[in-house]
Amino acid sequence: MTGLHPRFHDRAAFAPRPDYRLLPFRFIRLDDRRYVMTNDVGEHVVVSREQLVALVKRELPVTTQLYRELTAKHLVFDDESRAALDLLAVKYRTRAAAIADLTGLHIFVVTLRCDHSCHYCQVSRQTEDKTAFDMTREHADKALALVFQSPNPAIKIEFQGGEPLLNFALIQHIVQEAERRNACHGRDLQFVIASNLTHLDDHVLAFARAHRVFFSTSLDGPEDLHNANRPLRGGNSHRAAVDGIQRIREALGHDAVAALMTTTPASLARIEDIIDEYVRLGFTSIFLRSLSPYGFAIRTRLVHSYDIADWIAFYQRGLRHILALNRRGVAMREELAAIILQKMFAPAGASYVDLQSPAGVAIGALVYNYDGKIYGSDEGRMLAEMGDDSFCLGSLDTGTFASVMTDDRLHDMLEASLPESAPMCSDCGFLPWCGADPAFHRATQRDAVGHKAFSAFCAKQMAVLRHLVTLLEDDPEARRVLMSWV
Amino acid sequence: MDGSREHDGTLSNGEIALVIDLRSYRLTAVKKAAYRFADRFTAVLGSPEHDRIPVVLRFAPGITETAAQAHVRQFFQELLDQELREHIAGETNAVRTLILAHAFSNVDLIERDR
Repeated sequence: MTGLHPRFHDRAAFAPRPDYRLLPFRFIRLDDRRYVMTNDVGEHVVVSREQLVALVKRELPVTTQLYRELTAKHLVFDDESRAALDLLAVKYRTRAAAIADLTGLHIFVVTLRCDHSCHYCQVSRQTEDKTAFDMTREHADKALALVFQSPNPAIKIEFQGGEPLLNFALIQHIVQEAERRNACHGRDLQFVIASNLTHLDDHVLAFARAHRVFFSTSLDGPEDLHNANRPLRGGNSHRAAVDGIQRIREALGHDAVAALMTTTPASLARIEDIIDEYVRLGFTSIFLRSLSPYGFAIRTRLVHSYDIADWIAFYQRGLRHILALNRRGVAMREELAAIILQKMFAPAGASYVDLQSPAGVAIGALVYNYDGKIYGSDEGRMLAEMGDDSFCLGSLDTGTFASVMTDDRLHDMLEASLPESAPMCSDCGFLPWCGADPAFHRATQRDAVGHKAFSAFCAKQMAVLRHLVTLLEDDPEARRVLMSWV
Repeated sequence: MDGSREHDGTLSNGEIALVIDLRSYRLTAVKKAAYRFADRFTAVLGSPEHDRIPVVLRFAPGITETAAQAHVRQFFQELLDQELREHIAGETNAVRTLILAHAFSNVDLIERDR
């Protein structure tokens, strides 16, 4: 007898039972010693191979800290933790909930004209005087009708090009007309202009201030690198971007403008300079992006000018520099890492359309092209400029939101974008943190699923994910900074 | 080399021949490992006979003996992983189906007639 009151059981009655059961999980090798185990909602544990095998063979002592961690992360369950099944179902539903809202991002390609001649241009820009590459007001109105057929309570309208400010009159019309329609729809409506800022003037800023329009621009690094990447006829692209950023902040507030960079061969040796330029200009985040296999980047073979191993080394150096900046008290965040960390640790995951299952093709973003065609993603219209119209989902002249969402071509694309059913992806331990990017594989392998053993997308994801997990496991100071990005 | 396979240990005409014991590695695991290594070699699977399957690994021209042997070692490590994955999937797939069904059971996917 223990001397306890009869209504209490002895402590031994609450001890974990050795006959635990496995919950569904995947695993992947992290390095020579360790494996990453993940469940379907992205919770993970890092174990040795011996521990993994012992777990599966029911030889893992249930009194260990590892066993407690595995039950807490819903990788095993026993009689004491049967609620795990319910919790996993709720967590799965939470992560998938955003899909039911359908399309939130609506991209209007108001013109394909551009004053820049960037070597990596993904959209096959046209010269400034070719107004045949402008969207018509009729198509803009039809696109707006389609936008408000989406049930999503939050609608973001993004203007892209070419250089969208070359067709600013149409932007004004779309913004005003969207606001008029929204008076009865009551959506959370946002506008963003993706611009190189060379045509930013007081008139544009006054309109943006009046209608709460935000800006996104390109900034590839210091002046010499940026201008080499982004030639501007008779001008200085970097100066225009920096001046524009400053004017937008003065007129609309510091956070009214974001910047994106693209990695060219000239960038590879300059990662610290690029990040320091972002710090100098007051940005607190940077998205380290590799070249995409579309448009001029393909035609000029620029996309083949460095391989993914070069980019991964560039990325790891960049992340090291960013972590060092944070240790010195300089706030800076890398966006790809932040998206992945959200998928690892945030209950709802992350909404980045390229790393979703299914992909955000049409259900996350729709693109209304200058010529009236509808595409399921920005990359889809880029493929179309290269002669591959496989991501086209109809025309604004005849299409409705319902016709787009029920189009067999879309369903085929979505099916191809499910890593859960893709060879190699389906049993990959990184699956819950990854995606399938059908446009990338269509562009590089002529197949939306693609063979991942030959996929630069897969190689990049694997390397970034392994690097992040290693930092989280082995470097407490890095972990502290990385977790602050979730 | 472990006892579950036999091969002559050498690269000949850009190929290495193996025999894999299907009592140690099920056929699905062999196929999945071969698919995953397609960027390093082409695995040609023969007909299984008496629980053993012949596999020829065809490498790109110019590969060295050392590099080819390194790929073979990694292939057998991958085989172990794939076999373990198949074992786990077999044990947990029913639970996964149950969890997914439960996750979406409260969602009214169909607008029913009133």
